Amino acid sequence: MKIILCLHNVSHKYHSKLGETSALQDINFCLNDGEFLSIVGPSGSGKTTILSLISGLLKASQGHILIDGNEVTTTNRDTGYMFQRDQLFEWRTIRQNITLGLEIQKKMTQENLKMIDGLIEKYGLKEFADHYPRALSGGMRQRVALIRTLATSPKLLLLDEPFSALDFQTRLNVCDDVYSIIKNEKKSAILVTHDISEAISMSDRIIMLSNRPATIAHEYVIDMADCATPLLRRECKKFGYWFDKIWKDLEKLS
Amino acid sequence: MKKNKVIYSIEHKKYLKNIKTKKAWIFFTQIGLLIGFLLLWEALIFFKILDPLFFSSPLRILRTIKEMFVEQKLYEGYIIYVHIGITLFECVLGFLISTVIGSFIAIGLWWSDYLRKVLDPYLVILNSLPKVALGPVIILIMGLGLKAIITMAVLICIIITISSTLHGMTSCDPDKILLMKSMGATKFQVLSKLLLPYSIPNFISVLKINIGLSWIGAITGEYLTSRAGLGFIIDYGRQFFKSDLVMTSIVLLSIMAAIMYLGVSLIEQKVSKNR
Repeated sequence: MKIILCLHNVSHKYHSKLGETSALQDINFCLNDGEFLSIVGPSGSGKTTILSLISGLLKASQGHILIDGNEVTTTNRDTGYMFQRDQLFEWRTIRQNITLGLEIQKKMTQENLKMIDGLIEKYGLKEFADHYPRALSGGMRQRVALIRTLATSPKLLLLDEPFSALDFQTRLNVCDDVYSIIKNEKKSAILVTHDISEAISMSDRIIMLSNRPATIAHEYVIDMADCATPLLRRECKKFGYWFDKIWKDLEKLS
Repeated sequence: MKKNKVIYSIEHKKYLKNIKTKKAWIFFTQIGLLIGFLLLWEALIFFKILDPLFFSSPLRILRTIKEMFVEQKLYEGYIIYVHIGITLFECVLGFLISTVIGSFIAIGLWWSDYLRKVLDPYLVILNSLPKVALGPVIILIMGLGLKAIITMAVLICIIITISSTLHGMTSCDPDKILLMKSMGATKFQVLSKLLLPYSIPNFISVLKINIGLSWIGAITGEYLTSRAGLGFIIDYGRQFFKSDLVMTSIVLLSIMAAIMYLGVSLIEQKVSKNR
């Protein structure tokens, strides 16, 4: 299988007046094309830092990050970042929100706009395309945020707790929704979450970080191919097994 | 659906009626308060409890308004329209100059962290300094007249414009900026596509504050140095104990300030439609 992303001995330190904090220590992992990886760990263990490093928003103190063999030095067009809140711009219509990335990258070509129309239609946003975000529910807004991320055709999606701002009921549905869109578009994704069941229900593989300075404490390959979607997985027999295992490992860390 | 909307329960009808009645009461009380105030004022003058030499009276104000607009009497050589026009001109110009320059300075300060940190203590001091105290300095530098008055108005407005505009820009969710950066946005794109449209509501509240402040600027300026304008008439009226003139000018000022404020509120309504 093709490898899309690799982190080699990545370490990161934060500097402040009070001193330096070592957030990450010798992180090594790779991601296969089309794979869905989750990162869990105690709070403050540098989960978000890893995403920032991969997206190029932060520069690693040490080590190398390669996407498709190219070293990440600055923000790049291979990754698409999705935040905790949808961060839709209220003064732009849904369509204008979705085209934001193309505008920034000056790629508003006929072809790309057609591709976006396709996404809008395919994922049921057509009737809202010319509405403003406030007309949409929280779940729909997060779907728009995902389509906005997909609009620039990134190879790799970075999801930073994208469901944590939603209420539980919506969350389960949006989780299913986002998962199916990502699989449908054949994207690779890294999800940062503190919700173990969310991680299990979506991932092919889960990495657990240790306390600061974070190293990779555990790695789990979630073998639940027979349960296709996040909602189905939650009812799967093995779900309980994995939850128990990961939860106990996490307890030991904290 | 429509049928459902028409058939309300008695309870809901009562609720709606209650809201209406309350609204009407508030309105009538407001009007009543004004009329009561004017009647009391007039009565106090009529029964010689207050001296009209100092306090004028509603009827005298009406008479003065007639004198100003119908008979078009000259005040120190100019009809009232000229006085109004001059004050309005000073106020609007002061308002425009301070808004435009202030916004640009705010953008500059957002752009350069270094500059912002360097200038921060100066802005704090300028903000707390009563700008009227600079009046004599302004007159020394700009000379007597219009230029000095407009400078006064600009000085009074500009500092608050800079700090509120800057505050509006920096209150944007940092994740929105990160989102743009993760898409590869340049600093200029962050400004033009995110921060400027984001700050529009805040900008409009800055405009509202500035309207009030530029009136203050224009009138204080006229108190310091002027040959015409509403502030001049007020000051002139004070010197010659023409309280009717003073009070009437103040009434005119309130009406004009209210109209300008309403104008900005209308713009605000239009802009905020899609937010």
